[in-house]
Amino acid sequence: MSDRQTLLYLDGVSVSFDGFKAINNLSLIVGHRELQAIIGPNGAGKTTMMDIITGKTRPDEGEVFFEGAIDLTRLDETAIAELGIGRKFQKPTVFESHTVWDNLALALKKPRGVFSTWFYHPSQEDVARLDEILDIIRLRPRRDALAANLSHGQKQWLEIGMLLAQDPKLLLVDEPVAGMTDAETVETAKLLKEIARTRSVVVVEHDMSFVRDLAARVTVLAEGSVLAQGSLDHVSADPRVIESYLGR
Amino acid sequence: MITKTLLRALDGKALWVLAALLLIAIAVPASNLALPSGHPLRVPDHFVPLLGKYLTYAMLALALDLVWGFCGILSLGHGAFFALGGYAMGMYLMRQIGDRGVYAHPILPDFMVFLNWKELPWFWYGFDMFWFSAVMVVVAPGLLAFVFGWFAFRSRVTGVYLSIITQAMTYALMLAFFRNDMGFGGNNGLTDFKDILGAPIQAGTTRAALFAASAVALGLCFLVCSAIVNSKLGKVLVAVRDAESRTRFLGYRVERYKLFAFTASAMMAGLAGALYVPQVGIINPGEFAPANSIEIVIWTAVGGRGTLVGPIIGAVLVNAGKSWFTGLFPEFWLFALGGLFVAVTLFLPRGIVGTLADAWHAMKARHRPASLEEGSPRPPKGSARMDPSPAE
Amino acid sequence: MHPIRLILTLLLALLLTGAPGALAQADTVEALVRALPEGGYSEREKVIFALAETGDDRVARLLSVLGEGDLYLHEADGRVVAARRSGEGYAISDALSGEALGTVEKGALEKIRVNNRLRRAIDGAIAQLTLMSPRAPVRLSAARNLLKTAEPDALDLLDKALARESDADVRRVMEQARAAIVLKTETSVEEQLAAVEMLAERGDREALAMLTGALAGAAPPVQSALRSGIASVERRLALWDALQNVWYGLSLGSVLLLAAIGLAITFGVMGVINMAHGEIVMLGAYTTFAVQQVIRTSFPGLFDYSLAIALPLAFLIAALVGIAIERGIIRWLYGRPLETLLATWGLSLVLQQTVRTIFGPNNREVGNPAWMSGAFELGGLSITWNRLWIVAFALFVFAVLLAVLNRTQLGLQMRAVTQNRRMASAMGIRTPWVDAMTFGLGSGIAGMAGVALSQIDNVSPNLGQSYIIDSFMVVVFGGVGNLWGTLVGAFTLGVVNKFLEPYAGAVLGKILILVFIILFIQRRPRGLFALKGRAVDA
Ligand SMILES: Nc1ncnc2c1ncn2[C@@H]1O[C@H](COP(=O)(O)OP(=O)(O)OP(=O)(O)O)[C@@H](O)[C@H]1O
Ligand SMILES: [Mg+2]
Repeated sequence: MSDRQTLLYLDGVSVSFDGFKAINNLSLIVGHRELQAIIGPNGAGKTTMMDIITGKTRPDEGEVFFEGAIDLTRLDETAIAELGIGRKFQKPTVFESHTVWDNLALALKKPRGVFSTWFYHPSQEDVARLDEILDIIRLRPRRDALAANLSHGQKQWLEIGMLLAQDPKLLLVDEPVAGMTDAETVETAKLLKEIARTRSVVVVEHDMSFVRDLAARVTVLAEGSVLAQGSLDHVSADPRVIESYLGR
Repeated sequence: MITKTLLRALDGKALWVLAALLLIAIAVPASNLALPSGHPLRVPDHFVPLLGKYLTYAMLALALDLVWGFCGILSLGHGAFFALGGYAMGMYLMRQIGDRGVYAHPILPDFMVFLNWKELPWFWYGFDMFWFSAVMVVVAPGLLAFVFGWFAFRSRVTGVYLSIITQAMTYALMLAFFRNDMGFGGNNGLTDFKDILGAPIQAGTTRAALFAASAVALGLCFLVCSAIVNSKLGKVLVAVRDAESRTRFLGYRVERYKLFAFTASAMMAGLAGALYVPQVGIINPGEFAPANSIEIVIWTAVGGRGTLVGPIIGAVLVNAGKSWFTGLFPEFWLFALGGLFVAVTLFLPRGIVGTLADAWHAMKARHRPASLEEGSPRPPKGSARMDPSPAE
Repeated sequence: MHPIRLILTLLLALLLTGAPGALAQADTVEALVRALPEGGYSEREKVIFALAETGDDRVARLLSVLGEGDLYLHEADGRVVAARRSGEGYAISDALSGEALGTVEKGALEKIRVNNRLRRAIDGAIAQLTLMSPRAPVRLSAARNLLKTAEPDALDLLDKALARESDADVRRVMEQARAAIVLKTETSVEEQLAAVEMLAERGDREALAMLTGALAGAAPPVQSALRSGIASVERRLALWDALQNVWYGLSLGSVLLLAAIGLAITFGVMGVINMAHGEIVMLGAYTTFAVQQVIRTSFPGLFDYSLAIALPLAFLIAALVGIAIERGIIRWLYGRPLETLLATWGLSLVLQQTVRTIFGPNNREVGNPAWMSGAFELGGLSITWNRLWIVAFALFVFAVLLAVLNRTQLGLQMRAVTQNRRMASAMGIRTPWVDAMTFGLGSGIAGMAGVALSQIDNVSPNLGQSYIIDSFMVVVFGGVGNLWGTLVGAFTLGVVNKFLEPYAGAVLGKILILVFIILFIQRRPRGLFALKGRAVDA
């Protein structure tokens, strides 16, 4: 495999919690500007996989490389985030006592040092960029509302907006459309496809029509390892996939 | 850039507070010195150091608020930083005594002569110079906080664990300072000061000057805190307080932010301690007692943590209450203080200032169109709880 | 001593002296005593030797009275009496039997004088009498005495005594005493070497002192033997010292365990920081005081049972207070541990002040029942009964608690709530009830800890404060939510503390421990035995 084409590279990754193997010899590749959907039954290890990539969980064994040479297992969450891996959590987590605007401003790609944040002043471009994101996530009227007062779906959008502001090379998006209306779901799919034109996106989702909308390569995870890969139609025809979804 | 940050710090409310502090800094000494004794508007002599003491306590509470109210670090060891600053100042004052001590030794303080020491321990060098002591007043607590915090935050000790080890820290320091061979006067601490910067420490003018200095120092600390919390840095601190690991996933080095806040706060506490000592005339290991540090927390909580005015009001109110109470019914002070702890946490979690602010916003909201109602910058209840790390 | 052996020795003694001769002997002893005042010092010396020869039990006492210069002749009836000043006159008693004979004026008595030579003769005679006494305990204590003084003059006598000694214990001490004397006198190298070996075998501090004392004047071969002897004694002493330290450490550890175990439950199961925990311990101690007070005034006979009465009472009172605290305050603060910490701290101030108001600010006297006072020796260890009981009690409480947690319905529910509060409540467990019970249990144990602590520590309003930080250290060190962690944590900290103390001093030792724990938490932020999993991340 050529390093040039691979952004993220997982090989033989395993992790267990108190003897329970949540991830079992998982191998996965995400290319540059690739949109990849990951599906799998509950407890398949999708979120845990993201934990491993973002440094929240250390794998017991296996390799995780970013941009060919950077060993992610040696880095902590902050360093990984600084490399350009952004994450939206399954349960939306935003800063509840900050306004929508501040949430986005905190996420905006800017120097993260203590003193540079102390003396930071938003430039014209920064404000413009944040306004643009506000429009994308359609929260402009709520700009000064506290994040705590947003609805579940709005929080989802806000977190997606924070991802945009972070301007990462790789976006890990865990169940983005839970709690969204159908129209919003379609909207989200469009947005993600748009994003994937310039960077890589990994989406975990249970909503099959959404996954279909994404029209991306689909990876099926079950019991901690890859079960099948290919187009949605291809994998949904796979008998093992059917069994793993229905046999539980 | 820095000026912009400062200007932002001086927004509406802050300006009022600073003006008020400046007014006090001038008015109290002026009334004490200029008005004839017996004049109804004159601040009595013994009140000047007392009020000065309150101001240093207010600084201490403000310092604690920076880490607790804004960054979620409940330090139960801030008394230690206060005391360290106090000891640094006390050492300067001891050296100023010179040969006027009981044993009339030209260099060694009395307690060292008493312990039969022959020469000054190395860590007492330099404290005969005011500038050096003034530097140590902030450097010593700052260094301790930096080293302690570096270890603690790097290994992600949070919440009650952190609180408990900060308490252990001040407890260990207390035990250490009680020892005679530590070289800080053991049990009795440092006292019997004679003069500061050449001025007799008991003189009315010196006391007035110390009071003014305390008010100015409090104003400066307030300005610094305001500059911090009103900047993006302050927003990051609040983000750390509310969702520490989410902040990490955004690429912020949380431990550095905490370390910054903790160290800055310790330095302010040290400064407060340094101003406290000449006004009360003594510093002893009792200042390290864990109970003292917890008391600071209650001042902050009463006034309202997460606001900058709150801790100042809380510290002054509680301590004024304490002076009044211990004068009238000394046995009941602990009941009152204990009750205050319980009552504030149960019924007034946002403190006086926070609650008033809530009421004010609620009132304003009622008079405004419904669509704007969300705009009030009002943190959710119990916002300083432990880090709810992002669940999946 | 073994009773059968005692009887045998007594029988032997009877056979030796002969029952019929006893009367005649009494006559001679009496006659000799009557002869004491007569003549000069040299005659008196002869009488003393003759008295010693009789081997009569009563003679030793008589001679020691004579040595002290308290033996007089009662001039009126020519009787020899022991006299002691009493008010104006002298209280006299029969020299041999000790029977009181009333008081007389000073003029009625004439002192039987002794000089230094006589005194030495008396000492020798007493040693002979006691060393040859028919009663083994007397001989043993005489031999021990000799071992201490190592009086060279007594060597011949000791040899004689050794020749007829049949009791193994007494014999060993006599041999050791002989060795001590030999080391002090000019004897052959072989004999000295044997003596060194004998003393090294004894291996206590006295032996060490004797060996070191002999080092200076000894011949070269003996010196090297002495050195190795000293080294071996020192090694052995160090071992016993270490064991003694371990014991002190275990004892401290058990106290820490008792104080911390209740905390471990409330902290571990409910995530509640109870800063008033120390004050609940204090309530237990004051309960003991109150119980003893009632017993002292109303039922003095029950004093030995005071602890048995105080234990359940303390448990009950502490548990009730705990439940009240939980229902009244803590319940409103779940999920806000820092606030809980502050509120309970406030509560601790109130409790302290309440006790201070009721019982006064000073230390209160809580007595040890008979079965808890005193100490005993075990090898080179000295163990006090109260410490032993407390260690046993702590382990007992720990075992009971473990059983409650693992085997009862409440324990099951408590564990369920620890692991997943929401799930447990969804499954129909009444979490508020479990919370109250858990808190009650934890507090009740703290109350019992207070009963135990009242036996070894001052009962004052500050009692709780002095334990709270240590208890937290134990829980944090051991790991939250794990009783075994608390056990290991308590004993480790106890033992480490006691080992540090001799080198660093008590205060520095404590500081070192605190620093150690602070560093330890950096390494393992969740303690020695941490719970794993998602639950703790939240
Ligand atoms: N920290 C942890 N401790 C213990 N078990 C864990 C931990 N993290 C994950 N697991 C277990 O690993 C398995 C995989 O969990 P994961 O959250 O990755 O599933 P998922 O594929 O994201 O499921 P879902 O679709 O429901 O979100 C689950 O059985 C979970 O219980
Ligand atoms: Mg998941």
